Amino acid sequence: MLGAMRAPLTVPGALVLLVAAAALGSCERPGGCTGAYCGTLVFVTPAEPDILLPPVSQQVGTRDIGDQIFLKLADIGLSTNTVGDEDFQPQLAERWEWDGPLTLVFHLDPRARWHDGQPVTAADVAFTFDAYNDPAVASPYRNELRRLVSVTARDSLTAVFRFRERYPEMFFDAVYQMRILPGHLLRGVPRDQWKTAPFGRQPVGNGPYRFVRWQASQTLELEADSTFFLGRPAIRRLIWRFTPDIQVAVTQLVAGEGDALEYLGTPDNVNRARAAQHLTIYPYRGSTYGYLGFNLAANGDTTQPHPVFGDRQVRRALTMAVDRARLLKSVFGDLAKVPPGPMSQIWWIWDPEIRQLPYDTVQAMRLLAARGWRDSDGDGIRDHAGQRLSFRVLVPSSSGTRKQYARLLQEAFRTVGVQMEIDEVEPSVFQERVASGRFDAALFGWSTDPSPSSGLVQLWTRSGFGGSNHLRYDNPAYDQLVERATGGVVTRDQARATWRRAIEMLNDDAPAIFLFAPDNVAAIHSRVADVKIRPDSWWALVRTWRIPPDRLIDRDHVER
Amino acid sequence: MAAWLVRRVAASIAIVFAVVTLTFVLIHAAPGPPVPWPPDRPVDREVAAAWCRQWGCDQPLPVQYARYVSQLARGNLGLSFTLHRPVADALAEAIPNTLLLAGAALLLDFLLGLALGVYQALRVHRLPDIVLGNATLFIYSFPTFWLGLILVLVFGEQLRWFPVAGMTDPVLCPRVDSLRCAIDLLWHLTLPACTLGLVGAAGTARFQRAAMLEIAEQDYIRTARAKGASAWRVVLRHQLRNALLSFITRFGLALPFLLTGAVLIETIFAWPGMGRLATDAILRRDYSVVTAAALLASTLVVLGNLIADALVAVADPRLRVPEQA
Repeated sequence: MLGAMRAPLTVPGALVLLVAAAALGSCERPGGCTGAYCGTLVFVTPAEPDILLPPVSQQVGTRDIGDQIFLKLADIGLSTNTVGDEDFQPQLAERWEWDGPLTLVFHLDPRARWHDGQPVTAADVAFTFDAYNDPAVASPYRNELRRLVSVTARDSLTAVFRFRERYPEMFFDAVYQMRILPGHLLRGVPRDQWKTAPFGRQPVGNGPYRFVRWQASQTLELEADSTFFLGRPAIRRLIWRFTPDIQVAVTQLVAGEGDALEYLGTPDNVNRARAAQHLTIYPYRGSTYGYLGFNLAANGDTTQPHPVFGDRQVRRALTMAVDRARLLKSVFGDLAKVPPGPMSQIWWIWDPEIRQLPYDTVQAMRLLAARGWRDSDGDGIRDHAGQRLSFRVLVPSSSGTRKQYARLLQEAFRTVGVQMEIDEVEPSVFQERVASGRFDAALFGWSTDPSPSSGLVQLWTRSGFGGSNHLRYDNPAYDQLVERATGGVVTRDQARATWRRAIEMLNDDAPAIFLFAPDNVAAIHSRVADVKIRPDSWWALVRTWRIPPDRLIDRDHVER
Repeated sequence: MAAWLVRRVAASIAIVFAVVTLTFVLIHAAPGPPVPWPPDRPVDREVAAAWCRQWGCDQPLPVQYARYVSQLARGNLGLSFTLHRPVADALAEAIPNTLLLAGAALLLDFLLGLALGVYQALRVHRLPDIVLGNATLFIYSFPTFWLGLILVLVFGEQLRWFPVAGMTDPVLCPRVDSLRCAIDLLWHLTLPACTLGLVGAAGTARFQRAAMLEIAEQDYIRTARAKGASAWRVVLRHQLRNALLSFITRFGLALPFLLTGAVLIETIFAWPGMGRLATDAILRRDYSVVTAAALLASTLVVLGNLIADALVAVADPRLRVPEQA
């Protein structure tokens, strides 16, 4: 086959090879940079930012690259503990203190500077809070700041945060979502025009790296700020190469055209990266989880219970019919864990000991029979009062993982006499149908930030009706426990115990079958040392990585 | 001829307008809302409503259409909510990249295809014709994306002769502002252009061979030979020139491909062109970008046909429209 392909290449192929040889020769230009601050790191990723103005976007690419350009007042530690402030590291704020139960005072580091040389001030902090809260900006993070009353500047280096109430994640809410913005550059831009502000394509920040250039769909380049007040980054140049999908990114990485990819995805990709000698593999906790969710309301009519899933015992039976560990092994190999409830591995409440329904097909069949679902006509599918025990599941066609799970679940349910039919739809159709309640069941996958609060409230409490509680799960006792965990208690242990009770209650109600919480696996060029990956924000610690002088390769030396 | 041209141009404008309107209606009628945020993050209702107000999607469809047409009449293609920038800016960056890729591919397609077709016709039923005939049929039957993957695997990943993706080396050539970087660009262009061009050339060669053989049977060729014209003169002056008519038509039809035909290849080779832009926009329901892409594609289709008709008329005097018509 290849021989046949080469035939028409013979003449032009020789020309092409000549050009290639010339290109190769001319591109090899050993530069002059040597020493500890010479590295050039090329990230390959499908996650291109849409705009580099943090309040406007929730894209992963904006977060990853924005973390290099814009600092927070303080940032979360590797533990990803969101309760209290002890696990947070100073960034723009050199210290902070509580001035009463509802007032938090940040003291800015006087050495902090914007990349245009202006000092970072408390007025910038107050400006940032105002912008994140302005409806004209329509920031997706606005809801996360709802329990903050105000942020004011006491003096040029002191910012005062006031809260409406006392709760365990006050500090997290104050610092985690907001990247501090330069008031002196953005004050003149009308807020309703921030969505397309030129600043968002040529940002001026205060972080370890300053913006250099961005070529849409191609590359984005940052260079180290050698005067960065928290210490000069050892790697002097960061370049992101954007790819249409993860497969292309893995190919570029394996071919040596990139140095780092934060998420390899499938076990096949992990194996490809493992086989490449120049790469080192870094597993870390994943921030996503997935489940089969049952619509508790009738398909298309939220006022009526679902004829099948409205019955708690049927949901419990279906949950017990699925061997989640076996399914996980089939899809992910060893690269995921069965979640003990609706949670990702980065949440500090993750606890495999949380009570869950067991895998027990005998008990599942007994429960279904007890609820009147028997196979009366011998066709292998249970029925009751003329209705077959059958339902349709929505699956987004963009997710290979969930499509695989759909087929495995179909088989698992078939063995207990339940028919599941699969509707693969494109992601926007999936979103529309789950949002409008026009589905029986759906395979969901959620990405989370380190706090369990917002996800567990929006997805599983009554306040999420009409929003993200698409399954219309409604248990007042659960809601009460969530309220206590997010508001009424103060210590981490108390919060953890309350969360545990809430999750166990939800597991008992079985509104969903919690299927997977993947481990993430990054691949990074072996010449890079001191690699630490924070699970909630992959490249947040890049400024502490380094490339020892004896391991520099050609692209590290290049001077322009 | 002038009246004919005016009529064709007017009809072309009407067709483009109809396509734009149809695209606008269809993309809005397609199930699924715009997807401004990552689909795997819960979105607050108030935030979603504020977003919709900000981008005007809360207005009735006729109002949105009227606003779009009015913008379009002023040369404004609107704003992209997925890219957070004017659509015209995004297109201005993507179009040259696609033109470069598709232009190189078409050049390879037509030059190689033409040469092979003529060569085969001159060696008809001999060994080179048989070998090339089978080879072109074999390559023509390849899906382009599959050929692209094979080229990436063999020449990119295994042999490392060519880059597997991208337009330039981001470290050495962040901008194409020197001869060295122009060569680097060509080096990156080689695999995607060959992927598109080789399959096309195989098809063109087969068409051209058939056209040449058909012409070879004509009386005027026999007459030319009888008059003692040299073999090369017969081929170049009489046979090839007449066989070019189908070639020109094929070239005109291929013009839209300059902007639309490389979608899969742009994905495989991470080539930042129109294909990637349009695909992402369709999946996320970025109405402004989708409609602008349709506008461009339909303009090229009618333009391609117009140019092909005009060229054929120039090449073949028999097909010229009388002035009074």
